[in-house]
Amino acid sequence: MTVVVLPTLVESTYCKSLWISAKSFSACVCVCVRAGDRLCSTEDCMPGTGVYLRHGYIYSSLAGYVLRKNEGEELPVISVVRETEAQLLPDVGAIVTCKVRFGELLMSTTDVKEDVRATEKDRYISVSLLSGAQMVPISWCEMQCPRTHAKEFRKVARVQPEYLQA
Amino acid sequence: MAGLELLSDQGYRLDGRKAAELRKVQARMGVFAQADGSAYIEQGNTKALAVVYGPHEVRGSRSKTLHDRAVINCQYSMATFSTAERKRRPHGDRKSTEMSLHLKQTFEAAVLTNLYPRSQIDIYVKILQSDGGNYSACVNAATLAVVDAGIPMRDYVCACTAGFVDETPLADLCHAEESGGGTSLALALLPRGGHIALLQMDARLHQDHLETLMEAAMTACKGVSKVLDEVVRQHLQEVSALTGE
Repeated sequence: MTVVVLPTLVESTYCKSLWISAKSFSACVCVCVRAGDRLCSTEDCMPGTGVYLRHGYIYSSLAGYVLRKNEGEELPVISVVRETEAQLLPDVGAIVTCKVRFGELLMSTTDVKEDVRATEKDRYISVSLLSGAQMVPISWCEMQCPRTHAKEFRKVARVQPEYLQA
Repeated sequence: MAGLELLSDQGYRLDGRKAAELRKVQARMGVFAQADGSAYIEQGNTKALAVVYGPHEVRGSRSKTLHDRAVINCQYSMATFSTAERKRRPHGDRKSTEMSLHLKQTFEAAVLTNLYPRSQIDIYVKILQSDGGNYSACVNAATLAVVDAGIPMRDYVCACTAGFVDETPLADLCHAEESGGGTSLALALLPRGGHIALLQMDARLHQDHLETLMEAAMTACKGVSKVLDEVVRQHLQEVSALTGE
């Protein structure tokens, strides 16, 4: 099952196996820094990964190389990267492969276009398969696909309004 | 002990060092391929090995899970051959438990645990040879291991001991100086900001001498931090040369 990570909290700890496609870096790597090095102030750059903010300055939290990416009109994003290939947590937009141990999230290996939502306490994982047809809940135990009007018996969890995305 | 002066008239200590001189520090990172991070450090004759696993899911009792940050689990143990007399009980005794707790508190101050909620970071440290400054060697080794594992930290944690003999502060005590009965102060410092992660003192010290002793310990920690910094940079360059960047 291929999952696209949406900008909500994703807990990698509940996934048995997790692979992340390698992101290619375009900016140059040069300066070797250590944890605790002050890189710049928040007026010059935006913080990325591997850094933390303190008293209006950006400090490195890893031992690695500084990466400055220019985003256009906004401030450049500064981050510190190490040599290793795998990142620990997936970024927004990364393609991940997951397996879920428990919860209402179902794994589908057929071609049926389904959208399954699962909520777990205060975390929200939204899964949208390749086709992206979103099923609409009809009652507490039925969901209907708006395109094919096929009904499915699914336990419907009520999503809290603040987590609901359009 | 008759004839055994901790500080001679010329200003030399038992092992020939000056009062503010540190022991030779040698360290290597990435000594275990199977662990997430590992490091080995030698401070004089004290040898410590640290291994870091994590962050991963909380093993054992789920009740230890913290919803907003990672749990740091430290375990300190000494090899049975590490001391002059063979150690009967290397771990589980009161001193090991206390040391493990101190290490946990130290690293909770430095590691950015809020980046990994509901997970656990394991730090295991083993003393292979004990010649004073066990806690300091453990902290320094664990810092390098955490850096090797790529776990984000606010700053390095550097630790060193300091003592006070004849109105003079001594830096980096060896076993004979520690067990001589004088004051022994162990300090774990985040060198860039000057923040103290842990401060521990044994025996008695006059209040007037405390500031001098603290200054000596902080200077010693900053000296250790320079060495650790050099080790990390060298390791990074070695790794990047291997991966061909």
